[in-house]
Amino acid sequence: MPQLLTVRVKRPGRRPIRVWVPVLPMVLVLSPVVVLVVVGAAVACLVFSVSVVRALGTGWRIVSALPGTRVDVEYSRTAVLVAIR
Amino acid sequence: MNEQRKDILDMLAEGKITAEEAERLIAALERAQPPAAASPAARPKGKAKYLRVVMEFLEDGESGRLNVRVPLQLLRAGVQLAALIPPQALQRANAELSKSGVPFDLTQLKPEHLEALVEHLDEAVVELEQSDGHLRVFCE
Repeated sequence: MPQLLTVRVKRPGRRPIRVWVPVLPMVLVLSPVVVLVVVGAAVACLVFSVSVVRALGTGWRIVSALPGTRVDVEYSRTAVLVAIR
Repeated sequence: MNEQRKDILDMLAEGKITAEEAERLIAALERAQPPAAASPAARPKGKAKYLRVVMEFLEDGESGRLNVRVPLQLLRAGVQLAALIPPQALQRANAELSKSGVPFDLTQLKPEHLEALVEHLDEAVVELEQSDGHLRVFCE
């Protein structure tokens, strides 16, 4: 399960922006939305004849495998970094 | 074992050189070798954990760099999604592929096949060089 999402944006002539998002507290804060999304996904699975358990299991596996993902893009003097730990 | 080291050991085995000479030659060989570079070949043997995509490019005179690291575990989890695609969607995709001249049957693509592909990714290195940039995909 991801613990921390880090976003860093560097732009020329501006102060760099660094944002650290603790995932678990954020999920707790957004839990009503998360519940709605899960229910919506379950309904979509039923509509398209896909196993709900299997779909939720796959979704959980994907979320659990996210830590370690890192995307770093630099162009000219602009740079964006997104890292999941 | 590299070729030069093997040659030295062969000469030692054939009695052409003494053990001390072999030791000196191997030491000289190690000194002559460049330090290990951060390349896929320099990666210690073991199970790869990440797929890395590194791209450097030049566009409108400005240099750019893309560095993406994706856990292989994420790819393994992602291929499970293939099993969740509804059959109707696969049939429509097959029809579109056929129309575009790619007669590929997606219903025959099983998650096990994709998992086997991901399992063997750690041995794969893709390098693409162009005058205005290069792309390297490898596992680490």
